[in-house]
Amino acid sequence: MATPQVHHLFHAPIADHSFSSDKKTLAVARENNVELYQQSGNKFALSDELKGHEKTVTSVDIAPNSGRIVTCSQDRNAYVWEKTPTGWKPTLVLLRINRAATFVRWSPSEQKFAVGSGARVIAVCYFEEENDWWISKHIKKPIRSTITTLAWHPNSVLLAAGSTDSHARVFSSFIKGIDTRPEPSAWGERLPFNTICGEYLNDTAGWIQGVAFSPSGNALAFTGHDSSVTVVYPSAPEQPPRAMLNIATRLLPLNSLIWNGETEIIAAGHDCEPFRFRGDENGWQLAGSLENKAGQAGGAREESALNMFRQMDLKGQAQADTKLKSTHQNTVHTIRAHDEANGVASSFSTSGVDGRVVIWTA
Amino acid sequence: MSQINYRTINIDALDPESSTNFPMESLLPATLPQPASASDAANAATQVRQMLRGGDPEGALRTVLDTAPLGGDDRAKEVHLATVIDVLQGIRQGEMTRILEGVCSGDGGAERADCLMKYLYKGMSSATPSSGAPTPKNVVSPQNTGFSQIQARNLAEGGGGGQQMSVLLSWHERLVEIAGTGSIVRVMTDRRTV
Amino acid sequence: MSQSLRPYLQAVRSSLTAALTISNFASQTSERHNCPEIEANSSPEILLNPLHISRNENEKVKIEPSYNSVRISIRIKQADEIEHILVHKFTRFLTQRAESFFILRRKPVEGYDISFLITNFHTEKMLTHKLIDFVIEFMEEVDKEISEMKLFLNARARFVAESFLTPFD
Repeated sequence: MATPQVHHLFHAPIADHSFSSDKKTLAVARENNVELYQQSGNKFALSDELKGHEKTVTSVDIAPNSGRIVTCSQDRNAYVWEKTPTGWKPTLVLLRINRAATFVRWSPSEQKFAVGSGARVIAVCYFEEENDWWISKHIKKPIRSTITTLAWHPNSVLLAAGSTDSHARVFSSFIKGIDTRPEPSAWGERLPFNTICGEYLNDTAGWIQGVAFSPSGNALAFTGHDSSVTVVYPSAPEQPPRAMLNIATRLLPLNSLIWNGETEIIAAGHDCEPFRFRGDENGWQLAGSLENKAGQAGGAREESALNMFRQMDLKGQAQADTKLKSTHQNTVHTIRAHDEANGVASSFSTSGVDGRVVIWTA
Repeated sequence: MSQINYRTINIDALDPESSTNFPMESLLPATLPQPASASDAANAATQVRQMLRGGDPEGALRTVLDTAPLGGDDRAKEVHLATVIDVLQGIRQGEMTRILEGVCSGDGGAERADCLMKYLYKGMSSATPSSGAPTPKNVVSPQNTGFSQIQARNLAEGGGGGQQMSVLLSWHERLVEIAGTGSIVRVMTDRRTV
Repeated sequence: MSQSLRPYLQAVRSSLTAALTISNFASQTSERHNCPEIEANSSPEILLNPLHISRNENEKVKIEPSYNSVRISIRIKQADEIEHILVHKFTRFLTQRAESFFILRRKPVEGYDISFLITNFHTEKMLTHKLIDFVIEFMEEVDKEISEMKLFLNARARFVAESFLTPFD
């Protein structure tokens, strides 16, 4: 396994990160700003700052084709940034929410994006030509608490959301005039806006931290604060799912997950390292960590007595155990596919509280 | 009732849409078993004690965890907690690991491990000072130092319930080895309390 | 006695590891606020079940987790009234300096002697496992400290008594 590429950008939490489609530009959310990094050689150098939010930026997403960047923050606002010759120009989105915006993602069609919020709504935003403005429609109904995470179905109509009321839900975000009517699937046939196509709760509850559709869109995986990953295979509209498989792990809670093909999930979280899960409709299992620990074990060589006394003298301890064995030194917040073809990620990137962005080979 | 102080009314509590009034029952899964009564718990207790006497501690622990009254009332839960603690105390130190491995494997083993973890924490939380001895914590002002606040306090026994706690603590240690920290996380998140 | 101390601290350590899985969370009750949910106590689903760990009825720890903060309350061993006074003075000394002591709560939770409040901002700046080490070390040290102080006090009392009683010897 190739060693992961570590980019230690700064000493502050990264709430979210996103690469442009050519992987040369990296956007990270740092406190109230979004920083853009350009690749130069095998390093990333700060190139631009998107300033405008007044509170912690919670999420950032670069649209792969149009290159537009959408950001959202705890100040209740979201901006769409467009590159102009004079720099990045923000456009305020009419979100109509009165609590923090927590999560934002472009739909695969790039016509819409969805913003999760603490106001117990999801704002599905789209561009209205007449008024030259991004406006939103709200998905409200059964949501009872803060939305923590969102994921789009490949057809750009279905939207999965996880929230702190411990439910993972699948909604329709069909907007007339923007979307084309989707193919009927196991999730539903006719899909007017705000249709609930699925609502799932684990036995052990726990806030939902990450959701993802499988590449085909025919399965949904979500991870919760109960240290488990759950995979749902829907059967038919309005029917209970064909299978709902819960993998309770012995790890700390996982924050984010991606699919790698239809039979593999990679998830990372409070254990600071990514884990691989494998399985299918008949059962899923934790396959192990992607961290290559063997190499590091050799690094811990025998300390000389002189060195030990010197350390004792300077720091009052023989060996500083302030470094974790994992590549990330603190909780991982986001995991995203990096190089992807036909739903199979050959590499993926993670970012976390320690200010590092790491690119792993899957 | 002309003396209502309107400033002290918590208006959030009166608003059904407010987040203070989150419907906690919506966090309970649909598969929750039927509420068990105290007599059901007592029946289970007799059965389990018989198994324990009959020299089958593993079976006893397995049964007592499978019959946990997740949907029961407080009384049933109390009775069942006493049974679980009896079983745990009835198993020798040397056998703990072997029995735990048996109980936490096989079909539904992970659920049993989580359930046992819940009971361990519940058992430890019930360690309130015995008898209604006045606690010294009702002193209003922390500034009021001196001897006045030193009231009668249950100091004499020096670790009442210590025996039971040390049993629970050693079970806790073994269970964490087998079921990991994930099991503790699930004790916190799971709204189906024991 | 000390053989039950190890599993006690071990249980506290593993429980803290599980509880300190916190992340940033903006208030859903008040606009543009971000406060420790365990203290705000405004939405029940954001709080988790509290964990209790006790060694005996006089020594216990209560851990109250929430989405972005954890409150840890410790009841320190007090075997007699002198120890009770010493613990009271000791914790008072610390809590009065809570400002420079990031994670200390200004007032202990009812029924406990000292409380810590750890929020996501602390775990972002400090290493979580070191924070846990600190709490464990505090629990170890405070017992030692108290019994040492008690020994000093007794030794001093004996010395004073002896010197007073000498003339009548």
